[in-house]
Amino acid sequence: MTFTEPIRHQWEYYRERPFGRMVRLFVERIFRGGGDSDSEGLDLGVGLVLTMLAMPGGFVSILLFNKYGSLLQWLRGQTNVDTLLIAFPDEYFFIVLSMTVTGAVAVWRWDAIFPDRRDYINLVPLPISTRTIFLANLVAVLFLVGLVALDVNAASCVLFPMVVTASQSHFLFFFKFAAVHAMGVIGASVFSFLAVFSVLGVLMAVLPPRAFQRASAYIRGIVVVYLVALLSTAFAVPELLRRIRGPAPVWTYLAPSCWFVALCQSLRGRATPVMIHLAHLPLPAIAVLAAVAFGLYAMGYRRHFVRIAEIADTASVAHRPWKWFWNSMDRVWARTPFEKGGLRFVAKTLTRSEAHRLILTAVGGLGLVLGSQALLAAFESAKSLRAAALTPDALAIPFILSFLIVTGLRVIFEIPAELRANWVFQLLLDPGGEECESLARKVMLLAVLPWILWLTFGIYIWVAGTLVATLHTLLVAIWTLLLTNLVLIRYRKVPFTCTLPVFKQHSIVILLSFGFGYLLYAVSTPEFEASALLEPVRMFSLLPVAAVAWFIPHHLDKSTIEVEKKLIFEETAARAVEGLRLSE
Amino acid sequence: MLEAVHLAKRYSSIPAVQDLSFTLRPGQVLGCLGPNGSGKSTTVKMLTGLLEPTRGTVLFDGRNIQEDLAGYRARLGYVPEEPNLYPYLTGWEYLELVGTLRGMGRGDLYVKIDSLLELFSLHAARHVSIGTYSKGMRQRILIIAAIMHDPEIFIFDEPLSGLDVTSALIFKNVVQTLGKQGKLVFYCSHVLEVVEKVCSDVLILRKGEVIAQDSVTNIGQILGQSLENTFLHLVEDVDTMSVARDIVSVMTAA
Repeated sequence: MTFTEPIRHQWEYYRERPFGRMVRLFVERIFRGGGDSDSEGLDLGVGLVLTMLAMPGGFVSILLFNKYGSLLQWLRGQTNVDTLLIAFPDEYFFIVLSMTVTGAVAVWRWDAIFPDRRDYINLVPLPISTRTIFLANLVAVLFLVGLVALDVNAASCVLFPMVVTASQSHFLFFFKFAAVHAMGVIGASVFSFLAVFSVLGVLMAVLPPRAFQRASAYIRGIVVVYLVALLSTAFAVPELLRRIRGPAPVWTYLAPSCWFVALCQSLRGRATPVMIHLAHLPLPAIAVLAAVAFGLYAMGYRRHFVRIAEIADTASVAHRPWKWFWNSMDRVWARTPFEKGGLRFVAKTLTRSEAHRLILTAVGGLGLVLGSQALLAAFESAKSLRAAALTPDALAIPFILSFLIVTGLRVIFEIPAELRANWVFQLLLDPGGEECESLARKVMLLAVLPWILWLTFGIYIWVAGTLVATLHTLLVAIWTLLLTNLVLIRYRKVPFTCTLPVFKQHSIVILLSFGFGYLLYAVSTPEFEASALLEPVRMFSLLPVAAVAWFIPHHLDKSTIEVEKKLIFEETAARAVEGLRLSE
Repeated sequence: MLEAVHLAKRYSSIPAVQDLSFTLRPGQVLGCLGPNGSGKSTTVKMLTGLLEPTRGTVLFDGRNIQEDLAGYRARLGYVPEEPNLYPYLTGWEYLELVGTLRGMGRGDLYVKIDSLLELFSLHAARHVSIGTYSKGMRQRILIIAAIMHDPEIFIFDEPLSGLDVTSALIFKNVVQTLGKQGKLVFYCSHVLEVVEKVCSDVLILRKGEVIAQDSVTNIGQILGQSLENTFLHLVEDVDTMSVARDIVSVMTAA
């Protein structure tokens, strides 16, 4: 019997006690949500969610190898580099990234954090006091705060210090850098989660239950906008913060990310007087926020959970607020009944289904992170706004966004939503119909073209003139169209209505294709474009590439036999042995 | 006229339905009875075209429905056994989706949705997500979705499941009225009293085969018993009172 055995037994004992079991229940429901637990859609296990949350930090750290590699620095002619100085903007970026991702998690799980009607119905009739239910939920929330803060920053706490200190021979330097970085980003994560939690607590304490239900969606939207704004400060704030002389301006108090980066600089002995002043704020702020959050939460619990039975369960949706939008869609974009119904179905699934909304948010978040990184890189080396806009990094931004949206949507379409409800499509659609590909293409183009094209054209016409703006926008539009055609080769499903495909056999090939496609689409194309824009005639050399990319899906579509064009609702793996079924 | 001609369905060599034949004429409300596993659901799925028979055909007006499945389904209204709906759509949005996919005109569709929601007492909850609906509310949404395009054939699989007394009474009257209007109605249920009251004819299945088919009045008269006793006599070999006594004794055992 090892010395861990008694601890394990004790742990098992407490785990299976009613309180421990309730904490587990709340942790699971916070991760898996309050939707239909018997849904046959995508069940995002805890492991998958944690992996997805850890990805942005890890991804960005790996991208930074290019900046900190000593050989690459030497090849670029950069000698005697002050590592801590060039790491400052990146550290700030990791802090805002950690705050944004953690804040987004809190917003995403907003509904699941607090015990709901289902918990009330299942737990209150049992011989458990409502105080015990509250404490179990609180322990689950505290556990979640810790877990998310560690998970979101785990990759960056290891990889970023490794990247930055790669050229240093002392392990102590790595250790110190990693410890300070970890303190900054984990502290920022905890602060962000508690801040969102406080907003939830204030609303619950102040608003009546029905008003809280109505206001909830709007407040969440405002919090998301604030988080996005915080992330977008990454390319400007570090430089501004470094240049401040005299007392701290008001905006530094409004951006908590400044406090945490100031704490890191202060611990490294690299802080300016303003940073030393700001470094005193994070720890008291976390303590005050924790007290406020949990105090208000306790008040909200008394007002809402205990009275759930008295509150009508009517989470109503506003009366067709998008009527004008759908009417114009019907006139311009959707022609057939299937396209009209399909567009509505896809839009509502993407915005309301928990799993789909999560993956869409993750794709959007990854786009935002990579886009911000590209913007940061563009401004780092350029001397003017025009020069920055014409760097491959800045030109890559719309390509990065369109690639992620198109491929992301293609993946999301494969994820079933309430599979048992797809009988309605099986019953109503013509099995031989070939409209699914057209519907999927329209959704993808609608998600990319209107805003990315207008933004690209608008920004470039202002910064670089009409010719550059037209050529760049045209290239983004054509590339998006071609990418859409490529990802929809042999697509024959109504989005979200088919069983999950068997990825195992081809998953590595698919992942490699996505990686290779990203390099071609969002790295090589802008690099070529940056040089071609100096002499626009060179842009014509992209025509053969476009022709090949158009011909491949067109040819494959022509060569597909009729049976393989039929609508499917079930993905079946190829059988190793096919029975002849002679008896049937 | 809807005809099932020697229908058979096997699931990996296990027979679910064997040599099933019947005819459903305009104005006829045909009830389908059978214990669990008798092949009712498989029969319904074959009649709706959701499942292709292993052998035999389903003919509508003399034509195999598989030849023009889309055309056949346009004339079909179907209420499935389980109210599986998209929980994140509202009741109104679900009906709009179904109506749009059926190609109904916008004006006509919106008027019908509003009127039917009002008549089925769902108007107040029309903009509430289906996830928060009770089973009866979901069932009413399914019924509206099945009837709003004025189909010729109706296939109802346990349509009263979860409905409150008033809604159930309204629906039973709707079914009888549809029959009188010359529509074809195929009605599957476990509730014998409902079949006895609503249907003009009855089809009794056991182990995938038809064991009795006649008008409701004739079937009772042949054996001189109520439909419930006739059903038990034909398909079940269980002493229900003795089983009930056993359940209570297990429940109360120390």
